[in-house]
Amino acid sequence: MSATARTVATINGNAVDIHRGDTIFSAAARAGIDIPTLCHADGLEPEGGCRMCLVEIDGQRPQASCHTPISPGMVIHTATPRLHELRRALLELTISSLPAGTCEPDEHGTAFQRLLAAYEVTSSPFGHHATARALDESHPYMRFDRDRCITCRLCLNACEQVQGQFVYGIEGRGGHARLVFGSTERFADSACVSCGACVDVCPTGAINDRDRLTGGRADHAADSVCGYCGVGCQTHIESKDNVVLRIRGVPEASANHGHLCVKGRYAHAYHHAPDRLTTPLLRDASGVLRPATWDAAMQYAASRLLEIRDRHGPDALGVMTSSRSTNEAAYLLQKLFRTIIGTNNVDCCARVCHSSTAIALGTVTGTGAATASYADLEEASLIVVAGSNPTEAHPVVGARIKQAALRSAALVVIDPRRIELADYAGVHLQLWPGTNVALFNALAKVMVEEGLFDTDYVERRCTNFAELREFLAAQGLDDLAGITRVPADRIRAAARLIAQRGPGIFVSGLGLSEQSQGVASVMAYCNLGLLTGSLGKRGSGMLPLRGQNNVQGNADMGAQPYSLTGYLPLGEATVRRRLESLWGAPPPLEPGKTVPEMYEAARAGSLRALWIQGEDVVQSDPDTTHVIEALDTLDLLIVQELFLTDTARRAHVVFPAAAGLEQEGTFTNGERRIQHVRPSVAAPGEARPDWQAIRDVGIRMGPPGPAWSYRNPSDIMDEIARAVPDLFGGISYDRLTPDGIQWPCPTSDNPGTRTVHVGSFVRGKALLTCVDYIPPLDKTDASHPQVLMTGRVLDHYNVGTMTRRTPSRSIVAHDYLEIHPEDASRLGFVEGTPVGITSRWGHTTAPAHLTRRVLPGTCFLSFHFPDTQTNCVVGPHTDPKSKCPDYKVVAVQLARG
Amino acid sequence: MTTRARAYRATHAPEEALSAALPEFHAARDQHGGPDRETVEALARTVHLPVATTRGAFSSFDDVKAKPDSIRVCAGTSCMLAGGAEVSRELGSHHACHRVYCLGYCDRSPVALTASGSVVPRLSRSAFSVFEGGAPPPPPAPSSVRCAARHAVVTARIGVSQPTTEAVPEYKGLQAALARSPDEVVGMVIASRTRGRGGAAYPTGRKWQLAARASGEPKFVVANGDEGDPGSFIDRELMERDPHAILEGMAICAHAIGASRGIVFIRSEYPVAATLMSEAIAAARKAGILGPSALGHARPFEVEVVRGLGSYVCGEETALLSAIEGQRGEVWPRPPYPVEQGLFGKPTVVDNVETLVNVAWILRHGADLYAEMGTSESTGTKAICFNHGFAKPGIVEVEFGVTMRDAIENLAGGPRPGTQIEAVLLGGPMGSIVTPDQWDAPICFTAMAKRGLNLGHAGMVAIPRGADWGTILRHLLTFMRDESCGKCVPCRLGTLRAHEIAQGSLSSLNLPHFQQIMDLMKVASLCAFGRETPGPVRTILEKFGDRILAEVQS
Repeated sequence: MSATARTVATINGNAVDIHRGDTIFSAAARAGIDIPTLCHADGLEPEGGCRMCLVEIDGQRPQASCHTPISPGMVIHTATPRLHELRRALLELTISSLPAGTCEPDEHGTAFQRLLAAYEVTSSPFGHHATARALDESHPYMRFDRDRCITCRLCLNACEQVQGQFVYGIEGRGGHARLVFGSTERFADSACVSCGACVDVCPTGAINDRDRLTGGRADHAADSVCGYCGVGCQTHIESKDNVVLRIRGVPEASANHGHLCVKGRYAHAYHHAPDRLTTPLLRDASGVLRPATWDAAMQYAASRLLEIRDRHGPDALGVMTSSRSTNEAAYLLQKLFRTIIGTNNVDCCARVCHSSTAIALGTVTGTGAATASYADLEEASLIVVAGSNPTEAHPVVGARIKQAALRSAALVVIDPRRIELADYAGVHLQLWPGTNVALFNALAKVMVEEGLFDTDYVERRCTNFAELREFLAAQGLDDLAGITRVPADRIRAAARLIAQRGPGIFVSGLGLSEQSQGVASVMAYCNLGLLTGSLGKRGSGMLPLRGQNNVQGNADMGAQPYSLTGYLPLGEATVRRRLESLWGAPPPLEPGKTVPEMYEAARAGSLRALWIQGEDVVQSDPDTTHVIEALDTLDLLIVQELFLTDTARRAHVVFPAAAGLEQEGTFTNGERRIQHVRPSVAAPGEARPDWQAIRDVGIRMGPPGPAWSYRNPSDIMDEIARAVPDLFGGISYDRLTPDGIQWPCPTSDNPGTRTVHVGSFVRGKALLTCVDYIPPLDKTDASHPQVLMTGRVLDHYNVGTMTRRTPSRSIVAHDYLEIHPEDASRLGFVEGTPVGITSRWGHTTAPAHLTRRVLPGTCFLSFHFPDTQTNCVVGPHTDPKSKCPDYKVVAVQLARG
Repeated sequence: MTTRARAYRATHAPEEALSAALPEFHAARDQHGGPDRETVEALARTVHLPVATTRGAFSSFDDVKAKPDSIRVCAGTSCMLAGGAEVSRELGSHHACHRVYCLGYCDRSPVALTASGSVVPRLSRSAFSVFEGGAPPPPPAPSSVRCAARHAVVTARIGVSQPTTEAVPEYKGLQAALARSPDEVVGMVIASRTRGRGGAAYPTGRKWQLAARASGEPKFVVANGDEGDPGSFIDRELMERDPHAILEGMAICAHAIGASRGIVFIRSEYPVAATLMSEAIAAARKAGILGPSALGHARPFEVEVVRGLGSYVCGEETALLSAIEGQRGEVWPRPPYPVEQGLFGKPTVVDNVETLVNVAWILRHGADLYAEMGTSESTGTKAICFNHGFAKPGIVEVEFGVTMRDAIENLAGGPRPGTQIEAVLLGGPMGSIVTPDQWDAPICFTAMAKRGLNLGHAGMVAIPRGADWGTILRHLLTFMRDESCGKCVPCRLGTLRAHEIAQGSLSSLNLPHFQQIMDLMKVASLCAFGRETPGPVRTILEKFGDRILAEVQS
């Protein structure tokens, strides 16, 4: 549309601009003209069913504005006496399909009730449907009331066009057409993944959230950020009497466009679980944890930390910051350990998830974070998903990928399991667990040898190509294919598809990172991104999906032993000077210990004190027996927690923590977006925000330099901005509304960075890497013949501390072992058989679930339930560089349990 | 039709993304019967559509509700007037039967169709023995076909010969087309000013031009053989007796728009037509006319038959395309238009069977000769179908411009002996009730539209003096209720409520509500079904309402 020649039509006497693709409805909406509808919603394709949006157009018969293109010169009327009568009659007909009295006019009611009120419709002159029908309350979170359903199909369209789940259908014909779900009459039997997109568009409340119906009116509402997973969905949280009533997505948020998943939307009841910790606990002389005052607990913690430092030296202490807590808490805790205590023994759970990714991306590009953003998924012509199961672990991004595939983006899935996205993929490479490097090298080999790469990009923006070419030439495609157990032809086809449709988005997850070749896997994966010219451009790039809600932020804040806040190097003089002036002391020069190294040191007696913030490492970290041994040898274990977890039980001091719903701060999502977390409810009892407890212990310990006079998290963020001006210099709380800011953001007038490495890489030229395949360290043999992978399912989060205390527990009540029917039959298992799973490191049992999702010879187990203790089976193998444990390849023996 | 369900199929089974899903619905129905859970789940896996989508689509077709071995009895308007309801009620007490709207033998009402596909015209109690097993009845004689136009276009071959599918006639029209560029062929069709014969009367050349310009591969030509209007049977006759003319028209269209695939969609009530059409395709393929090089060297054109599964609305082009894809036979809001995003989202021309036969003639004989016939607004000829209520039932091809009176009184010989015609139902249930005072209207899309008449597919059903207008009204409302697809509110609920009202006593008390529903349907419905079916109902109330109200009140 040229700026000079406005193209206009007239609506109700007003000139209205026409944009490309406009319908009458969309043009009117932009001009602020409200046209009633019962079957159309923003972002959905026009349904054209309810006909409420009829408008009069001079010279034409009335047309439905939702699907009628607007054309220049049209003279349109949206509110005439005739239209009023037509709409009134349509409403009368519509309620005739419901039993009398089920939907009353109500100016403050549902969209349908508001229209009934506006058109003064109380009953149907055409009669009513005679009988009331039973409510469907089979689902723990949602409820379907057929007596309110007007068959408008908004739920169906939202389900298909937002989530891509295809739960709904319309059965029968004409006046007998009715909404159905799946192939049964019970909602809970359907394929519903409880995202709630249908509830948000339902105009009558026929499909509704159960919490919405029983909660009553809220007395408080706040916009915040979801605490489940690294997607970082923005939430609108309503509460009453300090209990969360209901949560919905924020439509304007870039991270989620109003969409949520079962966890973010529904799994909030944990915050008022009866077993929340409400007072600090101190271990008494007899070894029993007893309630204590904050003052006593903090004083004990501060003095013991100082004592141990003084007696054993600073490196006898360590800390694990929490990836579920805020940036401010993580920053303060690492600062406490680096300055007051004087150790770099600072790490976080990123160690056991995306540490390999961060190191690999840092090596290749200069920055250890995603180069792209979620918004690029909608613009991408190619999406490659490797070692990631987004529709379960990152459901909102998973839905976006599904939608992209349904809208014709080419999708390539690389995963040992036939995950849901594999069904939507052009190619699924179902590789043998632990063979990522061989597969990526094979793909790169085909691309290079067939000349299917972006030569210009490689020449201008990458180094080491000659070496890579030579390296790949020395590898045999058939050998690599043999390792991966993917036919060479299929690899070739995938390489060609990637090359042809690239540049693309390269999504990855813990299937690459949590391997004994974790760093190598991600580096070899980056080769594919570079060969297709994908990094540093819009609509393409590397997009690792971060696991926990603030694991990105924890790494950003310096929760790693070998670099500082903002990934600043330990040894650089200017950095040290700047931090010294800010912190009152320079950070120690020597790199500290990683999480596994801290356990090792504890067991060896050299690490004497550990502060664990908000993580149940007993359940989440591998080789459980050794973890427990390590914790039990400590002189001091401080735990900040919501619940008395297996880890907290072993502590000397327990600080009751405020949940994400109860405190202010910021989370940084997987696309580097720093977002404002605002409290919705008060923390129970004496539970306190993490940053406060850390600050107050710090003050008691006597920090060097400027006093720790932070009044609120915003003060802490201002210090973070000064500590790392290149990345965070422009970040302050007043800039985080409405949509957060993506770092790097060096100055207060910088809008943040959607795409990193545009024009040039942070390290100059990107590094193409030559990495040889090394077989996984946990080898199968006659006594341990089966390969076990571990991971997550949709309805639970991590070790389930939160989700197990919600109705999600009735959706998935226990961990289960996915096993191929052929293996099951050989081993004599049927669905539900308790299976004993024995590795060289431990033993557990779980019921069998027979599925062709896994390859014969492999199996998969989730780790959400403490009864299972999945991680006692996982061994001590780690990646040599990142120390990230190998959760994905464990040799096990299966037997009837 | 949902675009995401289409995309679901395309992502889950890329190799089948461009194949018709509806044939699998037939297989599921034949194998398992009704829409029970197991059938739907198995079918969903076969067609690679979501379970809920499949369930919805499968249950939207009438045929899945009937036992596969049941007898289909015609409940079309002509058969109803011939006492079909009584005969079929009696038949139903001995055999499994289900009602269908029109079997296409209105010239010999009432009629039934056996499960094995044998047609039993002039159904009466004495003919019930044919349903007892034993030898199938002989195929019915062809309908009477005459031509009153200067040149026989539609009836050129069906009027003179028995059906032949084996002996492939020369496709001279196609040869003429292939000797021209696609643009020139489109130009010829535009020059002929021929318009679609299915009822909407859209200029055919314009449609082809849009499809030719649209981008997308492959393109499709779909012959619409879903002749659902009770009263019309020309398409059935053409498919059974001159299938090659239809294939020729399709191939010409394929050349003109750059299509490589064709589908002949035939309603399930026409099993003989489906068989003969398939045979003709096989013969044409064998003769090298269709197939890998149909349109010249390495320019393929492959045609297949897809059978419907019992739904009137599938005669509408977008509903027809949805059904082929395995989705509900429902209209989708336009845009997108099928010429741009039609079958499987690809550019598609959907033309009525009779239209395609016209096009083949135009290519054989030239646009000028064609356009000389008819009126300036409606060129060429039209086949008129007369039901058994006329003295000479059958098909008469006329040039546009002849008056209805001329057609009725001269060509059809007036009423069946011993009867008088009180009105004619023209163009089926979406057409018009035309009383003798209106018969001077010329048969012409435009001229009739100006008079508020709807030519539709030009079937004429004589309504004799003495017929019960209340019964006719309820018949039309039952048809509307049964065939409404359920997509838009005015039609979905309007047909249901209006039917309820009319089943009770229609009086001055509820007449305003009834009228209001008809008005609302006419103005607000999404597609022509909802907008046009109230027409005949309103005319009946207007002209014969006093009898209906009186009848009910007494």
